[in-house]
Amino acid sequence: MLSCKELVAHSSDLLDGRLSLRQRLAVRAHLAMCLRCRRFIKQMRLSQAVLRQLPQAPIAELDALAAKLAELRRQQR
Amino acid sequence: MDYPSDSALLARLLAGEEKAFRELVATYQGAMRAVAFAIVGSRNADEVVQDAWLAVVRNLDGFQGRSSLKTWLLTITANTAKTRLKHNRREVLLDDLPGPHGTIGDERFAADGHWLLAPHAWHQDSPDALLTAAELRECLEKTLGSLSELQGSVLQLREREGLELDEICNLLQVSLSNVRVLLHRARLKVFATLEHFEETGQC
Repeated sequence: MLSCKELVAHSSDLLDGRLSLRQRLAVRAHLAMCLRCRRFIKQMRLSQAVLRQLPQAPIAELDALAAKLAELRRQQR
Repeated sequence: MDYPSDSALLARLLAGEEKAFRELVATYQGAMRAVAFAIVGSRNADEVVQDAWLAVVRNLDGFQGRSSLKTWLLTITANTAKTRLKHNRREVLLDDLPGPHGTIGDERFAADGHWLLAPHAWHQDSPDALLTAAELRECLEKTLGSLSELQGSVLQLREREGLELDEICNLLQVSLSNVRVLLHRARLKVFATLEHFEETGQC
């Protein structure tokens, strides 16, 4: 039987779909019985979503860079 | 071409259309920067990205569409960075720098492996609701800033740019097991930051 600590250690592999069949079954069995670990996994997924949506700093000099690259390209043709 | 969504943009790039280059930079520079960061570090990353863009334009005619545009751009970036690095390739640092809010470590578990300090329910359960707090955004930035260059890049490439683990290994020349360790530890630090904020309301 997987312990909570082991489940946490496997959590990233779970999120990335990298568990072997045997591990997947063990994780599933643990989660079915353990509210705390279910909550942990749910919060890990939420953390992932938060990170995805965290606004990114705007790119400095975007227009200037685009203009320069386009110009270089046109010179090549 | 196997990647139809790229072909329209590619045609416009080949024609030298400025708006197309703007789109290209806006879409991919973040990921390119993460790759450069991981390989040459923060000090030289911007220069590597600039050089990579020039190489991209130089080689645009040779792009065959055998990979996605994104993979091609990131490969060029990684190659540019590695050339820059020449022989002094850094060791892969697996030592974990401490995050500002810690991680989910051994102290959270009893000797039998059960939770000693289990996570509490959070007040918010959507990313939008969580991110409305400006303080949490700053707090997350701080945590991300505390990661090593390699670890921060691995996290960004996986979580924000959606790269597969294998792609990250190839680009950064780090073994799969190392990428998994780096990623897992980074995620736990992000988790600990959110948890800390949810429990205390402050950073």
